[in-house]
Amino acid sequence: MTSAKLSIGVPSKGRLKDQAAAIFEKAGIPLRNKGPERGYRAALEGLDGVEVVLTSAAEIVHELKSGRVHLGITGEDLIRETLADVDGSVEFLVSLGLGRADVVVAVPDCWIDVARMGDLEDVAAQFARAHGRRLRVATKYMNLTRRFFAASGVAGYRIVESVGATEATPAAGTAELIVDITTTGTTLRANHLKVLEDGLILKSQAHLFASRAAPWDTSAKKLRDTIANRLKTS
Amino acid sequence: MAAESARKFEALEAQATALLDVFKRAGYEQVAPSIIQPADVFLDQIGEQVRSRTYVFTDLAGDELCLRPDLTVPVSRLYLERHPDADTPARYCYNGPAFRFQPDRNNQAHPREFRQAGIESFGAKDKESADVETVLLAVEAVRSARLKDFRLRFGDIALFYAFIDALALPDRWRLKLRHYFWRPQAFHALLSQLARSERPDAEGPVAALAGTLDRDDPEKSEELVACHFDDKGLPLAGNRTLSEITARLLDLLGDLRAEPLRKEIATVIDYFLAVSAAPEEAVERVTMIAKGACIDVAPALQALVRRFERLEQGGIDLGKSTFATEFGRSFEYYSGLVFQIEVGGEGDASQIAGGGRYDGLLAHIGAPREVPAIGAAIHTERLLAAVERGA
Repeated sequence: MTSAKLSIGVPSKGRLKDQAAAIFEKAGIPLRNKGPERGYRAALEGLDGVEVVLTSAAEIVHELKSGRVHLGITGEDLIRETLADVDGSVEFLVSLGLGRADVVVAVPDCWIDVARMGDLEDVAAQFARAHGRRLRVATKYMNLTRRFFAASGVAGYRIVESVGATEATPAAGTAELIVDITTTGTTLRANHLKVLEDGLILKSQAHLFASRAAPWDTSAKKLRDTIANRLKTS
Repeated sequence: MAAESARKFEALEAQATALLDVFKRAGYEQVAPSIIQPADVFLDQIGEQVRSRTYVFTDLAGDELCLRPDLTVPVSRLYLERHPDADTPARYCYNGPAFRFQPDRNNQAHPREFRQAGIESFGAKDKESADVETVLLAVEAVRSARLKDFRLRFGDIALFYAFIDALALPDRWRLKLRHYFWRPQAFHALLSQLARSERPDAEGPVAALAGTLDRDDPEKSEELVACHFDDKGLPLAGNRTLSEITARLLDLLGDLRAEPLRKEIATVIDYFLAVSAAPEEAVERVTMIAKGACIDVAPALQALVRRFERLEQGGIDLGKSTFATEFGRSFEYYSGLVFQIEVGGEGDASQIAGGGRYDGLLAHIGAPREVPAIGAAIHTERLLAAVERGA
């Protein structure tokens, strides 16, 4: 491993794992696991000097920020949620067309009087009068939610953090509405939720990112260009 | 990260002792509320914008807690703990740290950990006297710390409410304007909508459903909405009740049927909120605007004038002060007179102390009724810095 010139973070679980493996395969530089089968390290076949760090998509964002990896594959949603200074921390190298999903604001279907973000503040006012508290928004995207709600002029809410089964919180009564990721909308519909007309916060997909904090010497830059070109043209 | 919590520890301690002496001599009991507070109370009352600057965490038992971002709510909770029925007047003073995340960076003008020295008065029935006493005591305190060159800025939330209440508006619009006062951006959009005499979209299934309802018969309307939910197979979720949803549809129906609101109303509100001048001139201008709009805000205005008169008798130089109708829009729990002590310089660092009346807060955090309450807090690091600069 001492010969590694460049390290790249690749998702080790979830949907992105298999999809990422497939695009490296297609690019002619397949992932090859090293050492014990449950390893957290791999290599790219046919490309010497690259160390693949297998970890979660969320962890890859932190690794990119701190510069512990040169490159990383992860979702734009996680990048925009986690990094305070996106452009100062990472560079968007290649959009991979994987992991496409929308981060959206969704409210219960029965809120027929609510169609747009603007309606939410009215409802927040009414809700505060009737219940003595703010609307609760369940989400794992606290920062995206705050920024989007502020830009939409909605302030009468509070966030409740939710790391799983966010879409079930309105029916369970632990939140009134949600900000969550959706691909087909099936889960939202099954939970009797609807997306607000202007409630699209982010159209996300996975990208190959480059860290601005990693040590970029000549050989690392060369390997970066090779990987980026292979992934682009495949 | 700064290794030392407060620079100039000794100077700050000496200053705090002097401030507390002033408060205690005036009959305020010194209290020390908990630094760690339940997050719920703050998040429900103050909202997400302050949460984004509050250190919130979950402890090992799973409780959501925070480091207090200010001391007004903790002192209010302390009062309710001692007087659950909120039936006894009490006056407290305090000095202690508060904590706020500083998005730009932790620096001297914006420390993440800062100290507030202040007073809170609960249950005083004579609101006028309590208002005057609070302002005068805050001024006396900063003077005792040898601050010489400062000015006062005033606002009055009650005057805004009186103004909105006096306008010829349907109740649903009045409620909206009162609520949106705290959201300047959305308030502006609402006024433009008013000014364009915009009508809601009369097309679409929701307007159609609203059209079948009857504003004079909420019960029947609720039944109709319930039938609609049955037909469409929509379960009631998200904690809003059938009657809340129906009420909003009835508001929509009201807007569909009503004459568009008069455009002049938006102009009058704009004029009103643009008033910012020395108190005497500001009061004159509000009087003129009210007269021009043929509305009566005399009681609220006279209440304000009486406070100013007593402040002047108390030694406040009103010629150097400003009254701005829209001042106080940032803290949602204020309900009446608000004020700030300022020195020269730009931005937040010039704001040495501030306070105001917040009659609604205690009922929201558990008091059985509305409790008259007013307080003021001094940002002690800024006060010390200003005194050392020679202000």
